[in-house]
Amino acid sequence: MLVVEDSDAIRTAFTILLEESGYTVAAAPNGNDAVRLAGERSPDLVLLDLGLPDISGLDVARRIKGDPATRGIPVVALTGRDDDADRDALLSAGCSAFWLKPVDTQALIRSLPGYIAGAAQP
Amino acid sequence: MTDLRLTIHGGHEVEARLREVLAREGFRIVEPPRPEAGGGAALVVEPHGHLPREYARRLEELERTILELRNLDVAKSQFLTNVSHELRTPLTAIVTYGEILRDGMLGEITPRQREAIESMIGSCRQLLSMIEEILTYARTNAQAISIQPSDFTVDEVVRIVHDMNASLIERKSLHFDLEMSPDLPTAHADRDKVAHVLGNLIGNAIDFTPDGGRVHVDAHRSPADPRWIEIVVEDTGIGIDPVHHELIFQEFAQVDASRARIHHGTGLGLAIARQFVRLHGGRIWVESELGGGSRFLFTIPSVEASANAESAAA
Repeated sequence: MLVVEDSDAIRTAFTILLEESGYTVAAAPNGNDAVRLAGERSPDLVLLDLGLPDISGLDVARRIKGDPATRGIPVVALTGRDDDADRDALLSAGCSAFWLKPVDTQALIRSLPGYIAGAAQP
Repeated sequence: MTDLRLTIHGGHEVEARLREVLAREGFRIVEPPRPEAGGGAALVVEPHGHLPREYARRLEELERTILELRNLDVAKSQFLTNVSHELRTPLTAIVTYGEILRDGMLGEITPRQREAIESMIGSCRQLLSMIEEILTYARTNAQAISIQPSDFTVDEVVRIVHDMNASLIERKSLHFDLEMSPDLPTAHADRDKVAHVLGNLIGNAIDFTPDGGRVHVDAHRSPADPRWIEIVVEDTGIGIDPVHHELIFQEFAQVDASRARIHHGTGLGLAIARQFVRLHGGRIWVESELGGGSRFLFTIPSVEASANAESAAA
């Protein structure tokens, strides 16, 4: 599982949440690290915050989905309410879903196996 | 009108420049009948009348003011967006950590600890929704907002709003049901704005209904015009005194202090909802008695209403 989030506090919170739910977690504080780690670690899923300091979350999604090596990794975007305009772009970039922050963590954890299984199908 | 006699000492450039300034300021230049003795050109000028000159000056002032206000408005919107982002980030972290603790991920907790954490998370979520409301309101006022209509079913939007509130509905053991009239046409409206209105009404219904109560959403053709859709959000909550039915749709209105104390709110939610409904040409109102639950109703156009409007316009 790869967590991409620039806020230290939120990144750590998601790392704890996912580890305690039984996942192995890698975390990236910015977009470039995210793209690199997606290639190196081949995570089962990328949890992607949109407001990143270097490249936008949308670009991260496009790069992951544009590279044949990482194309199959499901990407779930975490959005704020201001990001309305980006949602269609996120879906057409190949994101599995977007969740409004702050997410209902229980509901998110319940949904993760579905996203992972969904991406495994052609 | 008073004449203004000027004697210019200087060359043609000075005279040309002076003529230019005087003309701009609204003076008419009356050429003197003959050159004054003593050298230099002479001009006799008179104002075109006080009005045009004053008018030009004021117009210039207004233009300057408008420009300043525009810049300020953009700066204000930008500031609000930034502040809102800065406020939301730490709150998101608090909510997420709270849920991790609540769900016993970092060790078992006692029921009283759980209750305390629930209350902390609830307060943070309230704070977040208030920040959202203030931001939406600021934006609504800062820019001319427009609606972007698309075709969608009311059903799907209600379900999205329901899912966003699922945990809260579960925690309060509320009965939530949705009733769609079988002949309900597809809506033709701004989907995000309708979702916002429904989110506000359903959120209020959940807030003001005690545990174990009922929230009922109902959509049917409007009795006033069957080409419009009427959506009803009904609860078994504390109700609203009829004297307050108009007041609650006004900005910053809280019906009374006790209601505001028990329940959160900026007092902007319904004002924004009304603004969004009115943008569609629809209507929003409430039917309620104190202690008898509330029924909020609003109307949005269906595809039939918009097809008609377009053919009427053509």
